[in-house]
Amino acid sequence: MIFSSLIFLYLFLPICLVAYLVARPIKVKNAVLIILSLAFYAWGEPTRIIFLLLSAVVNYFVGVGIGFFKKEKYQKLCLICGLIFNIGMIGVFKYSGFIMRNINAIFSADLPVPDIVVMAGISFYTFQVISYIVDCYWGKVQPQKNFFKLLLYVCLFPQLIAGPIVRYETIAAEIDNRKTTLNDFSQGLTRFVVGLAKKVILADQLYRIVEDFLGGSVNSLTVAGSWYGVILYSLYIYFDFSGYSDIAIGLGRIFGFHFNENFDHPYLCKDITEFWQRWHISLGSFFRDYLLPVTFFGKRNKYLSLFLVWLCTGIWHGANWNYIIWGLYYGMFILLETFIGKKRMNKIPLVIRHIYSKLVIIIGFGIFYFEDIGKLGTFLKNLTPFNPNGWGGFFEQASLTSNLFLIIAAIICTFPLMKAFGKLAEKNDTARAVISVSGTLVCVCLLAFSSILLVDSTTNAFLYWRF
Amino acid sequence: MNREEITAKLTEVFRDVFDDEEIVLSDATTADDIEAWDSLEHISLIAAVEKAFKMRFTMREVSGMKNVGEMIDILMQRAK
Repeated sequence: MIFSSLIFLYLFLPICLVAYLVARPIKVKNAVLIILSLAFYAWGEPTRIIFLLLSAVVNYFVGVGIGFFKKEKYQKLCLICGLIFNIGMIGVFKYSGFIMRNINAIFSADLPVPDIVVMAGISFYTFQVISYIVDCYWGKVQPQKNFFKLLLYVCLFPQLIAGPIVRYETIAAEIDNRKTTLNDFSQGLTRFVVGLAKKVILADQLYRIVEDFLGGSVNSLTVAGSWYGVILYSLYIYFDFSGYSDIAIGLGRIFGFHFNENFDHPYLCKDITEFWQRWHISLGSFFRDYLLPVTFFGKRNKYLSLFLVWLCTGIWHGANWNYIIWGLYYGMFILLETFIGKKRMNKIPLVIRHIYSKLVIIIGFGIFYFEDIGKLGTFLKNLTPFNPNGWGGFFEQASLTSNLFLIIAAIICTFPLMKAFGKLAEKNDTARAVISVSGTLVCVCLLAFSSILLVDSTTNAFLYWRF
Repeated sequence: MNREEITAKLTEVFRDVFDDEEIVLSDATTADDIEAWDSLEHISLIAAVEKAFKMRFTMREVSGMKNVGEMIDILMQRAK
């Protein structure tokens, strides 16, 4: 089921809220959330629920095994079995087709290529359970003895499909005991509506324009058209993904869970290192904690660690070479910034750092968009003066003029508006009252406008679902 | 080695890795206090500390240390 759909907004969510708020005590609340989460995931494709349950069962026993054995070698064996299972799951469901295609291409073979549809959210919930079993092994968390509590962690529907990747330690205490205060409910609902509006009002509308430019024949793109399309795609992907995270965090708050933030206004970054501290924070921290400290044949090497992290970041995003190139592309710029050093980076004029970081990010999303490497090459050439189609003309100008309001609104919304209003509200009681009332009115308008757009919507699947 | 000796030796390692002679360590020092100490430089730091103290941190310790005090606690147990 998709968050930005009328059936979710006006049927599933109200049922969830009523059932959850009526349910007592916490055990029943958890049972309600498990049933609704499984229904949410099974919607439209019931078979995938089997693999979600299998993942929960296997990782439950891995955790129990780690807790049961006292000798480290047996605990390690449990962990290795769990890792093989989890990585195997992603490998089969996400990468087997890609691997077979490449084997066929390299060895001129004709092996059958499996046609497996990637299960929504498999990368997210698998990474969650990997963090759980590793944390159990490291002794950071106690293995969960109650299967249904672990199942709730694995299948909790707000963050199940597209993150944030929630660590077990973040919500372990809240699974056992939580309360939804009025403040939680109100802030959660606001966050939900803001996320929905980001998705429906901004991301979906931006995507229509993106498809007009990048979705057509890349051979006919002008320089202006290429830049215009990819800049809007960069805005689209931010609002699509951060909108989903806002919805997930907001729904979590409504149900009494406090997930970590996943985005921190990434386009305000001054360099690429900072961009990745602000973009998809839960994935970055996963790789930082679980992959960066690995040793290579007993030796630590930060450059190999960096390469591994960015290779995996690329691979995680999709089974295609463009994602691998995209990951290594970012690794290259982070390596460059490491060589330059923070002190010297900080001495570079701010304007230049902003231009540099935005250029790298925007071109990066061009690499991210084109899964066909041939098209990607043509597109990258089309960004330059070597573009045979010229600099641009009427089509780009007409699109910019007719969508100017949307584009300006999108750019403004990349700034931390909520934080600014929050600070303003702290000044005095009058400001707080005005912002509270106007904030509520804005939320009602955003919800109404989003609903109207959804009635006639065809482009509302979240991009990160397929990861 | 006692805590003071470990802190003194560790300070030298930190100054060398981060190329900053003004670094003064305390138990409460964290990555927020040293500008160049990010997740990548953390790996260089760990490698340098392991070499200086002839010991090995586990993966859990590498990603789980919250401040210099925790690093010194581990070194007090395992430094050779």
